[in-house]
Amino acid sequence: MGKMFVVFKREYLERVRSKWFIIATVLGPVFLGLVTVMPIVLAARTKSSAQLSNIVIIDATGSDLGARVSKALSNTTPGATAPRVRVVKAEQVAAEEKRATTEVMERDALGYLVLDANTIGGKQMRYAGRNASAVVDVQSLSTMVRQSLLNMRLEREGIDPGRVSMLTAVRLETKTEKISDRGKEGTSGLASLFFGYGIALVLYMMIAIYGQSIMRGVLEEKTTRVAEVVVSSVKPDVLLTGKILGSGSVAVTQVIVWLGMTFLMYLVRVPILKAFGAAPAMIGGALKIPTVPPTVGVALFLFFVLGFVFYAALFGAVGAMVSNQEDIQQAATPVMIMLVSSIIFMQPILMNPSSSLAVTMSILPFSAPLMMPLRMALVAVPWYEIVGALASVAVGCAVAIWLSARIYRVGLLMYGKRPSVRELGRWIRMS
Amino acid sequence: MSEAAVHITGVTKRFDATVAVRELSLVVPRGSVYGLLGPNGAGKTTTIRMILNIIAPDSGTLSVLGRPHLDEAVTNRVGYLPEERGLYKKMQVRRVLRFLAELKGVKPKVADQRINKWLERLDLKTAEKDWGNAKVDELSRGMQQKVQFIGTLLHEPDLVILDEPFSGLDPVNSQALKDAIVELKRDGKTVIFSTHLMDNAERLCDSVCIIAHGEKVLDGEVAAVKAARGTRNVALSIDGEVTGAVRQVLADTTLVARMDDQNRYFEIQLANKANPQELLHRVLAAGASVLRFELISPSLHQIFLERVGATGVEEGMSGHG
Repeated sequence: MGKMFVVFKREYLERVRSKWFIIATVLGPVFLGLVTVMPIVLAARTKSSAQLSNIVIIDATGSDLGARVSKALSNTTPGATAPRVRVVKAEQVAAEEKRATTEVMERDALGYLVLDANTIGGKQMRYAGRNASAVVDVQSLSTMVRQSLLNMRLEREGIDPGRVSMLTAVRLETKTEKISDRGKEGTSGLASLFFGYGIALVLYMMIAIYGQSIMRGVLEEKTTRVAEVVVSSVKPDVLLTGKILGSGSVAVTQVIVWLGMTFLMYLVRVPILKAFGAAPAMIGGALKIPTVPPTVGVALFLFFVLGFVFYAALFGAVGAMVSNQEDIQQAATPVMIMLVSSIIFMQPILMNPSSSLAVTMSILPFSAPLMMPLRMALVAVPWYEIVGALASVAVGCAVAIWLSARIYRVGLLMYGKRPSVRELGRWIRMS
Repeated sequence: MSEAAVHITGVTKRFDATVAVRELSLVVPRGSVYGLLGPNGAGKTTTIRMILNIIAPDSGTLSVLGRPHLDEAVTNRVGYLPEERGLYKKMQVRRVLRFLAELKGVKPKVADQRINKWLERLDLKTAEKDWGNAKVDELSRGMQQKVQFIGTLLHEPDLVILDEPFSGLDPVNSQALKDAIVELKRDGKTVIFSTHLMDNAERLCDSVCIIAHGEKVLDGEVAAVKAARGTRNVALSIDGEVTGAVRQVLADTTLVARMDDQNRYFEIQLANKANPQELLHRVLAAGASVLRFELISPSLHQIFLERVGATGVEEGMSGHG
């Protein structure tokens, strides 16, 4: 126990002291914060362009639709160049379009809008311009045309223009809310989707990064031949355990620091968002941390710890298996496939968290540590499935440790070419 | 067997098809300097690793410092310097040393004091520069070897095992290592080292064991091993050029059974029933100017060559160094 602590201490302190750890720990939340804040800020910024009204409207409808659209456009972007409306006959449209195209090419206008009989019929309008691929611009144009057309039709039916604008002024916003077994969650379905996605992704990142760093650490001990000195003082199993626990604690430390910093940033979110220029209305709803009941928190922590140990043990064995950097990626492939397969199935599970694929993936030991937390965030998973998954991962852990310790014990002092599967089998029987 | 530092009985270790060590038995007396001699690939490192419980023997028993070698408590009293040396490259020297000491159960405070003492003693900490605060990979190869040696001794082990300690050392460090081994012995510690350098072994060791192809060839106290061979050897030094006439005498098989020709020094094993006086007469008659003619016990080197033979001698094998 004492010696394991010595190994643990070295592993932990050397990693925590490294520049890489400090940078990642400090910059991680800043990066995550940006990822969270940017969409809101961007959403706030995504208004249609200010020059939207600087267009040519070719009106072949024989009505005042062109003028109405022009007025609506000028109202939304006050101060900008007003649209130039050209009322033409249907057969002149082609020539007008040619002229307008030249104007757009010479940057006199942003684009041109063609309104004709089809438009009056409520079927089609056409737009060509530099911003033709800007979804927001095109959407606001078509909204305005639709609105103007509607107004025109209603007025023709004899309804008072004032009443028309009053009746058609409808702005609808959708607010979503999630309902689970416990009732209303108070958060939007989207938020828990992000939450589940986030947890699975952080777990994946931690396992991939720290698991591989254990693998490299073991290989380093082998290539620098420190391993031999160390195993003359401690048993290889103790060494492996100390290393896994040491790096695992580093990962936990990092996550705790991240959570702490995220919470701090959450507390001061309003000034930050304001500084980025987000509208006050968006600030209220956009950032709400989903509530995590303590039992779920404990389960998440257990999945993280067990998942980490499972993969760390396997990565440790891979490190002991090879003797040089060239072989290591290849030798790690089977372990990486297990890890990545969980991520590959993330999308379908997000779409349908109760499918049999999702249930299977969340119980298999190699994918459960990532997929069960994901499902738990999305749907209410029955407790027996959670316990079953935990038990499955725990058994997987025991097997992985048993196998790895054996490979590690023999591999640590073996140099030369990478062992074949059959040789590995012999190593496992040997020790 | 309380006076034995290491007691090995009938130990065998196989790696797949090859037998690394076969039915090996030996006793290392406590407080002695013990040489494990043999050509490369003889099984020295395997034997050492089994003593340290790094690998397990297939059969046979080992006891270390009077206890079964599986005993955890024993490892804290043994210091080990492996043949292939290495340390954590990115770690600070002082931290590496503290780690190695703590692995042997030394309290960090005590370790720090000893580390400073050793760093000063081996010139790694001077008034201008304290290498203890540098990272391992900032040190020269020689300095790293010193650090590793310190790491072997920080817990003041009763038994020190050095695997090929002289390989790769320059004459200055080689001398320093010899001094250290002698000092350890003076302090009552037991030192086991493996080497293929017979001259070092002959001068340093109280007892030796020669192994080849995983089997023991002979063992015992150096003096006894040599005495058992009798004084049928002659040390001959000649001043000036060795003439053809002299060489002819030395080639006479009725006088000389074997000879180690080192150009101007010869170690000669007399032929059966040959008279050393006759050899001296003949050499003088051939016109040689003899600087030294002495009846000696055979050197370990000679015994080694005789017993292991050319077959046991592989590339890299050398009797001098």
